[in-house]
Amino acid sequence: MIGYILRRIVSAILVLFVTSSLVFALFLFGPSDPSQALCNVNRCTDAKRAQIHQSLGLDQPFLSQYGDWLKGLFVGREISFGPGFHIDCNAPCLGVSYITKEEVTPYLMSRFPATLSIALAGFMYLALGVAIGAFAARRRGTTVDRSLVASTLVLSSIPFYIFALMSYLYIVLKWGILPDTTYVPLTENPLTWAGHMMLPWAVLAAWNCVTYARFGRGSMIDSLGEDYVRTARAKGLGEASIVVKHALRSAIVPVITIFGIDIATLLAGTIFAEKIFNIQGIGLTALAALTTGDLPVISATVIIAAGFIVVANLVVDLLYSVLDPRVRLV
Amino acid sequence: MRWKKPVIAASAVAMMAVAACGGGGSSTTENPTNQPSGPSGAAGKFIDMSAKAPAAPIPGAIKGGTMTVMSASGATTMDPTEAYYTNTSSILEAYVTRSLTQYEYRNGDMVLIPDLATSWKSNSDYTKWTFTIRTGIKYENGDPVTLQDIKYGIMRSFDRDTFPTGADYSNQYFKDGDTYKGPYASNADYKGVQISGDKLTILMARPFPDMPYWGSFPAIGPIPAGDASNPATYKNHPLATGPYKFADYQQGVSLTLVRNDQWDPNTDPGRRAYPDEIDFTFTDETATIDQTMLSDSGTAQSSLTYDNVAAADYPTAVQQAPDRLVKGTTPCTAMWLPDMRKITDINIRKALGYAYPYEAAWKAGGDIVGVTKIPGVYIMPPGTPGQGTSPYDVLGNQGSQPDTAKAKQILTQANKLHYEIKFLYVRGDDLAEAAKDQIVKSLTASGFKATPVAVGVNQYTTVRADPNADINLRSFGWCSDWPSGASWFPPIFKTVPGGEAGPANYGFFSQPSVDKKIETIATLPLDQQPDAWGALDKYIETTYYPAVVIGYYGDVFMHGSKIGGMENDTVFGMPTWKQMWVMK
Amino acid sequence: MSLPTPELITGHDMGGASLIAAAEHLAGRSPSRIAMDRLRSDKVAMVSAVVVFFFVLIAVFAPLITRAWGVDLRGGDPVTDTDQFGFPLIGPPYHGFIWSHPLGLEPLNGNDLLAEWVYGARTSLEVATITTALSTILGVVIGLIAGFSRGTGDKLISFVIDVFLSFPFLLGALAMAPIILNRYGANAADLQRASFWALVGILTFFGWMPLARLIRGEVFSLREREFVQAARVIGVPTRQILFKELLPNLVAPIVVSISLNIPAFVTAEAGFAFLGIGLTGQPSWGQTINRAQGYFQSDPIYLWAPVIGIMILVLALNLLGDAVRDAFDPKTRR
Repeated sequence: MIGYILRRIVSAILVLFVTSSLVFALFLFGPSDPSQALCNVNRCTDAKRAQIHQSLGLDQPFLSQYGDWLKGLFVGREISFGPGFHIDCNAPCLGVSYITKEEVTPYLMSRFPATLSIALAGFMYLALGVAIGAFAARRRGTTVDRSLVASTLVLSSIPFYIFALMSYLYIVLKWGILPDTTYVPLTENPLTWAGHMMLPWAVLAAWNCVTYARFGRGSMIDSLGEDYVRTARAKGLGEASIVVKHALRSAIVPVITIFGIDIATLLAGTIFAEKIFNIQGIGLTALAALTTGDLPVISATVIIAAGFIVVANLVVDLLYSVLDPRVRLV
Repeated sequence: MRWKKPVIAASAVAMMAVAACGGGGSSTTENPTNQPSGPSGAAGKFIDMSAKAPAAPIPGAIKGGTMTVMSASGATTMDPTEAYYTNTSSILEAYVTRSLTQYEYRNGDMVLIPDLATSWKSNSDYTKWTFTIRTGIKYENGDPVTLQDIKYGIMRSFDRDTFPTGADYSNQYFKDGDTYKGPYASNADYKGVQISGDKLTILMARPFPDMPYWGSFPAIGPIPAGDASNPATYKNHPLATGPYKFADYQQGVSLTLVRNDQWDPNTDPGRRAYPDEIDFTFTDETATIDQTMLSDSGTAQSSLTYDNVAAADYPTAVQQAPDRLVKGTTPCTAMWLPDMRKITDINIRKALGYAYPYEAAWKAGGDIVGVTKIPGVYIMPPGTPGQGTSPYDVLGNQGSQPDTAKAKQILTQANKLHYEIKFLYVRGDDLAEAAKDQIVKSLTASGFKATPVAVGVNQYTTVRADPNADINLRSFGWCSDWPSGASWFPPIFKTVPGGEAGPANYGFFSQPSVDKKIETIATLPLDQQPDAWGALDKYIETTYYPAVVIGYYGDVFMHGSKIGGMENDTVFGMPTWKQMWVMK
Repeated sequence: MSLPTPELITGHDMGGASLIAAAEHLAGRSPSRIAMDRLRSDKVAMVSAVVVFFFVLIAVFAPLITRAWGVDLRGGDPVTDTDQFGFPLIGPPYHGFIWSHPLGLEPLNGNDLLAEWVYGARTSLEVATITTALSTILGVVIGLIAGFSRGTGDKLISFVIDVFLSFPFLLGALAMAPIILNRYGANAADLQRASFWALVGILTFFGWMPLARLIRGEVFSLREREFVQAARVIGVPTRQILFKELLPNLVAPIVVSISLNIPAFVTAEAGFAFLGIGLTGQPSWGQTINRAQGYFQSDPIYLWAPVIGIMILVLALNLLGDAVRDAFDPKTRR
């Protein structure tokens, strides 16, 4: 068990390392000159550019820059924007924004709660979806089941961003049913926080839960047909106990697996959600950084998102091993 | 001054015949149709040194309440030294930071009045300015404001490395402006500012008649030396000297201003400070802002926006809430600047003027005809003293009528048919692309060969400023920093040594005769300067036609029913912050 | 938006082995044949197929349709076609329906919206089909190689798949956009072509992994089976085993993957355009939606036309795909 966990962690770190290196290389060798964002357009002479390159260390060979970057990540470093303007970038340092001159790590961390608040919907739809799926599976073949299956198929066929956009335009802007969607920190006022998150949650949960209802239903049908369920029935166990204790436990395993793999999709979903609901999280920050050419911010968002996915996958994998007695961990 | 957000659309101009409103004179020109309230008078043609503190109360205005301000334009740095966009500058100037001088709204005009300085005077050639400074001013933390602090603020304004996007008038006009690099680059004392008692004297490298205007910038105000104003942190919380201080600021996202109890209204002749709190958000969606304003329910009643109403919502707004719309001009001109080094034939430049698809490009670019873009032929926009004092119309098209046949005829005569025009456009900006399509269509119909060059939004300004970029036409919008021709001709038409684009010479225009006229006008008595700038406007366009004027910018803002005192500030193209209040 | 759905990963209950088991009872009919028969008797599937076919026709004959209707793509004139606020002078929202412009004109620029819509369908299906084809080929090839090479090769490929799966593709795509622009910005035609292939490339690049994983798993189980062992023993070259012996047994997962991919890529294309990082310079539903959202009150048809277009197309593709999956997998029952 411990060996397996260690192996998974090592491979996760390796994946993250490769991803971050790729991102770093992509931006360094990409076509846009990092000094562009820093240079006043009308006074951007070649000498000036060279000076910026030098103070940022961009004139160094790639490996040395990458070394600096790694060093910043683990112990922090000082980033200089010219004489008299140095910024201490504390570990884990992902750079300093060319535009706001803020350290990227705390800057993004301050945006992270907003993204996380949206992503909370993930757990809602997981639970909701599995519950609906189990319900449908128990009533397999009935009208309820059929209409449930049909409606989930239709709803999940609407692209997420269209569903979100139309909900926002009509529910908030036109009819004013739900309050406008902005991010109010949870710590400031939990009620307002929840109120303003209502629509994003509703939209994400409704749209995603149907997919999970489908998975959950299929996997529940499978596990209800398994021998051990039959055995449990034969033993005379109550129906509720059979469904919850025996069937659901194994039925949930494939669903969790999908959820883990789906994290990347969830993340993409939050970018759309942030854009449509205008919530200042990581996604909008990345979009904004793209228009201003703020490379440290863009690359940091990519790396943080990758880290998020890797960690989520890791957690799911570990969860998987706990939930499914059949998975043997060697 | 920079527009709220970087001007990227290559779009421009309209029909509606008459160029709006005649600048420097006292005229209240007939407004074109569809412009009930129209652009108002000449911005800042007055300087009133006699204004006394406290500012006279506005009848009906009440104190208290929270004002909410929505915008989609984002917001850049709030360091007073670097703030140079119209939104950040005007918010700081009105509410947070005090400078030597300030503006006050009076019947449609913006008048320059005293702020920290009670009076000012210069020597005869405007190379030495002396300001008398008010005493008893405090920062929000209770520390007294000293003349040394003002000097330190001025010293900071030279630093183009730490504050690359700030205004560079100190560098251009002040003594040693070309060599002194600010307090962070060296510990050497700056010799250009002298302090004696309550007198602050600034020495110039060359005549600077508009110094009092530059003195209204947040950059020319008190900033405490040392760690208190560390550039890394000061931009998130500049120390307030004005009626409000930062309670919370997230760059580009939101700003909350609350009352600064250290501010004394008896020292301030311009700021009324009615609301208790002002909440800004900078990241709203345009559609959301418009719908919120139109709904006028709940907090929307005490909200306002300084973004233009979208064309999509404008007809509805005019119909439903004409009394909650504020219209006016912004001192900005959009231009096409042919590269004078490449397009040397004036006939081709004139052909470009006929070829520009004024109304089509304007509409496709999302502008509202006669409201957010107003046609005209002068370089100086409406509201600039001297505009139109020497009337002219080089092409005879009122800056709004394309004539592709005439353009083609000119090209044929000059034997330059299929002359290639290469210009930039922003890829990914739907409106800019739509405007570009119209321009290509019209250029092609005029006998040009149109080659649009796509760039990303973050590279647009850089490529445009690059003298070696492979383009021969630059689209360009310029807003004056203060209402004077000196804010127009020196940056755009004065020769820049070394062939760089300089502050704004994107046409790489270089004519000794124009350089000389610019120098001469700067030394004229102040009251003669406006007409001289107006004459230079005519001289440049009729002699060289180096700029196709493709319209002035207009404002149309919306506010809730409980906002009082909101007018258009013609200097910034922003609301008249200082006199606004929230009704009960 | 979702790229190729994770549903594929639950491949443990579908695929070649069980198909073969099913086929044993019905001598003389191939598994694919059985599936097709099953599909043909599915009403929902048939209706969906007709709808999809309709969209394909629109896409293929877009130029003919617009010519027949007498409308131009992006031929509007803002001066003559729109009023002073940019609203169309004919058709919705202020004027009645007219046959010459059934969807009306686009506000601000006066372009015909039918042409925009028809060409939008073309873009959508073009991108989706090409991308699906490429990512399927890539997924199959990599999956086969991974499944058949033991040890290091497989480990390496699995690791690469892990890296790709954890790469936030949307952000990655965002970041790559400027590279194309820099290179091809000066020539409109080149730029359009480059941005098209860049989009196809990015979607392919981040869309092959689920299928590769699935194929790899299938190959793992197949390669231990007698017919493969036998082929090995008699010395059939590996390449031939891979493509002649294994591939035919992988038809079911491949078909299933394609049925999931096409609607996913239609969605992705429009989603990218909606975020402003997709195709520009050529019509796309996502772009139109992005432009039209501000008009949702004042000119609803402008927004609803592409919204309904994409909803119906994706729904039809999904329903068809679902039926295909059912047909190819005897174990699932609806």
